[in-house]
Amino acid sequence: MIRVRGLSKQFGGVDHGNGSVLALSEIDLEVRDNEFITVIGPSGCGKTTLLRIIAGLIPYDRGEITIDGKPVTGPGPDRAVVFQNFALMPWADVLANVTFGLEIRGTPKDESQAKAKELIKLVGLENFEKRLPKELSGGMQQRVGLARALAVNPKILLMDEPFGSLDEQTRRLLQEQLLRLWEHERKTVVFITHSMDEAVMLGDRVMLMTPRPGRVKEMIDVPLKRPRLRELEKSSAFLEVKEYLWENLRVMQVE
Amino acid sequence: MKQETAEQPVVKSTTAEKMRLPPALRRFLRNNALEVLALLGGAAIWEALGWGLGLQWLPPFSKVMEALAQFMHSGVILANVGTSLQALMIGFGLSLIMGLVVGALMGRYRYVEKALDVYVHALFVCPSIVFAPVFFAIFGLSDASRIAIIVVYAMFVIVINTATAIRTVDPSLVEMARAFGCREHQIFARILLPASLPLVFAGIRLGMGRAVKGMVNGEMLIAFVGLGALAQKYGAQFDAAKVFAIAMVVLIIGLFTNWLVQTFEHRLTSWVD
Repeated sequence: MIRVRGLSKQFGGVDHGNGSVLALSEIDLEVRDNEFITVIGPSGCGKTTLLRIIAGLIPYDRGEITIDGKPVTGPGPDRAVVFQNFALMPWADVLANVTFGLEIRGTPKDESQAKAKELIKLVGLENFEKRLPKELSGGMQQRVGLARALAVNPKILLMDEPFGSLDEQTRRLLQEQLLRLWEHERKTVVFITHSMDEAVMLGDRVMLMTPRPGRVKEMIDVPLKRPRLRELEKSSAFLEVKEYLWENLRVMQVE
Repeated sequence: MKQETAEQPVVKSTTAEKMRLPPALRRFLRNNALEVLALLGGAAIWEALGWGLGLQWLPPFSKVMEALAQFMHSGVILANVGTSLQALMIGFGLSLIMGLVVGALMGRYRYVEKALDVYVHALFVCPSIVFAPVFFAIFGLSDASRIAIIVVYAMFVIVINTATAIRTVDPSLVEMARAFGCREHQIFARILLPASLPLVFAGIRLGMGRAVKGMVNGEMLIAFVGLGALAQKYGAQFDAAKVFAIAMVVLIIGLFTNWLVQTFEHRLTSWVD
């Protein structure tokens, strides 16, 4: 379980009053094991900052974050991140990109290769193991990013607008693929998005954030059954939650 | 079946091969037709100007080639090329190692950059040959003087390029590596080093070119050995053909070392589009 209490983050240092920006203020959040949380909010609300703090990549100023009771002090093997811009190594082929995390953790070579191949197959790239990232489409690149994250078998998957730069068709396909993978092997997921459809379609709960400083406006339960199928997009429950999100977001998005 | 096909080209080649250039050379000429044409054109113009103008400092191309052939024949050039290349290799090797280490530290750590930046740039823009008397005073007439000159010529451009290369590595790759638990030395080895190679090689190539300049300048001004000393000697005798012949040799060394660096570069950075 991820537990965030009273988390605040200031950029530009706590000491200098001028020029410093309060990015996150008094964030409280509890994510249960195997829960899928989507986070949505206007641009600049600190969604990504929150995710990077949970990942242990940047420090925070006040509050506390624990994972299964242990405070977060840096990156750890219990978490893996999927990045918005994929962050694939351009010089390494698909297989080498997917084995990256395993190698860092000292997994023996044959074992990490086998594991990586299994995941490459799972995301549907079995014929692309020897390709370089530049030879792949955006959607395929992010599937590599997903396979790389899953390869280290994390308890928690942190996804930072992973499908944000993809076209609508690709994005939908990847959403469905992610849902299938997640049904198959449950993990705790924190998924940042700026798409209301995506937030409702994927999440058990949607965390709605306010603009700067980012606060938790509301945690919204998504009353849709699993597995989530596309037909649900036409259901009144889906539309209601989406409508509710829009009402809130349009007020925040004044400018 | 198999024997038949194997036999045929052998028969063919015995008749055709004698008339034609070897296939490797033909392929080279086909792929580099413009370059070859430009070189032949340059040589022809040089030859014509040399005979036409009759200037003492511009001997015709054929005379230069003649001088070069004489040098080759007498063996004087080979001995001097050996001396020069030895200093070049040591000097460039030192520049490479120190340039990469200092550059990498400057690119990665702000405080190292702040501390060293002004020195590196000062030494980079400063004409390196002004240090010749200093090195002469320190090392005397030894090889160390020439090597030191090569190092000041070559090192700083490698430092500057390496620092920029490391500093401009996509920060999301470094963040990715940290997220997967990389320690600092793993970030260096697995992310910063490969990601910075294209720009690092640009610096290495410039450094190699400058090292060749440093080699000749050092020999001409302090150590009086190798190709530089030969050029100095014939220059004093106003023997332009011989000076040009030595320049040709330096040019060939320059092209060869550049080719050598490029070969490594292509092999290590083939992933760049």
